[in-house]
Amino acid sequence: MTSRRQMLKSALLGGGASVVAATALGSLGPEAAFATAGAPEVEPGTVDPNFAEGRIRSIKDNTLLVLGSNMVFHNIRVVDGTSLWKLGPVPFEQAKPGDGLYARGVRMPDGVLAAEAVWLNIVNIKGHIKNITSDKIHLDHNGQEVLCHVVPGKSVAVHSESPPSADLSMLRVSQHVQILGAWRPDTNEVDIATVFSPH
Amino acid sequence: MQGIAALQPYVIALFLVWAALMKLFSRRMRAEAGRTALARLVGSARAIPTLRLVGVVELAVAAALLLPPVTPEEGAAAAVLSAGFLAYLAYAYAAAPTSSCGCLGAHSHPVDWRAFARAGLLCAAGVAAIWARPYPLDPPLVALGLVEVVALLGLSAELDRLWLSPLRQLLVRLRQPLAVRSPAEIPLEVSLHLLYLSPAYCSASAQLTSDVQDVWDEDGLRFVVYGARERTAVFSIPLAGADPSTVRVALT
Repeated sequence: MTSRRQMLKSALLGGGASVVAATALGSLGPEAAFATAGAPEVEPGTVDPNFAEGRIRSIKDNTLLVLGSNMVFHNIRVVDGTSLWKLGPVPFEQAKPGDGLYARGVRMPDGVLAAEAVWLNIVNIKGHIKNITSDKIHLDHNGQEVLCHVVPGKSVAVHSESPPSADLSMLRVSQHVQILGAWRPDTNEVDIATVFSPH
Repeated sequence: MQGIAALQPYVIALFLVWAALMKLFSRRMRAEAGRTALARLVGSARAIPTLRLVGVVELAVAAALLLPPVTPEEGAAAAVLSAGFLAYLAYAYAAAPTSSCGCLGAHSHPVDWRAFARAGLLCAAGVAAIWARPYPLDPPLVALGLVEVVALLGLSAELDRLWLSPLRQLLVRLRQPLAVRSPAEIPLEVSLHLLYLSPAYCSASAQLTSDVQDVWDEDGLRFVVYGARERTAVFSIPLAGADPSTVRVALT
């Protein structure tokens, strides 16, 4: 890993940095997991073959067997170039049976989805803050309490249009927020990636 | 015991009057009647007439409880009414778990243990009121009555915004439970925000096919690696500073 990092670093700082043609595809960050399929070749109303969602049933070598919410099975292959997100970039070992996922990639002729990006347990919930206790936000989401954990060094808050900040102390009880985070499977608990608040 | 029983008609009447006035005169409650469990039970067209009818019955029972003479039937009526509320809450909890109960005012909380506890307490008070006889009120009895009223008010989710939310806001202000404990640690999202604003990212974003593959900090820079079709895009983002033009990119 270190040698690869050194190689990438030297490519960047050694003067050989190349800048490619400018277009605007937009971000492929966690928010992109919720973006509507931008691929123009997908007919409206039909399934995007290059996307899969569901929960991991089993993991064999580098392949995830995933059961979709529509009860369709997906085989998702994770390769060296696949990014995995679980509250941040994680290695493949962090994917566990029971995890929910969204995956984008390229559908192979044999039906396997060769994943380019996999987001594990990613959730995007809105609600109002019922209470704030030590490193926890108790979120009321349509009457259901969701316990949101602040993870030091990872969780950030975006107030209105301001840049993200590790300081979440501006959040107030009874204000409305949107939380992007990682669900802890089979619980009502979430680790916070970003809290968006309108003010 | 005699004193406690004698107290109950007043406590029950207080809450019945409150409930009845809200049902009969609150415009907001009528507007939100369609979203209560009552609408589910009787149909949304009949929700408002039913709400008014229940309000009139509550007012009638409250009047009977408050006005002399004191009879066991009044207590029994209050107990039956409260038992009816309990049954209604059980129905709401089972059939419309996301609806509010529409009991004592408009709010959006679904039925929870506090609603059951309040209705249960009122039902017990109704049963106790069956044995109510005229009894002189003394200070300990008044104090007990106040405690009972405060407990019932505390169980009312309708009033949370008046005391529970401000109390929690105050506690949060005093305790600062989300104060940053490790300010030296810069979350990745902060660096990524700078990255997304940078000309380097704009130039390379069309090539990117994955999310962040790898990230590490070295020499005051944060290196972030993305997949870019068959290749790899590596960005260097300064850990300190907020100038997006200092972000650099290489495609290898």
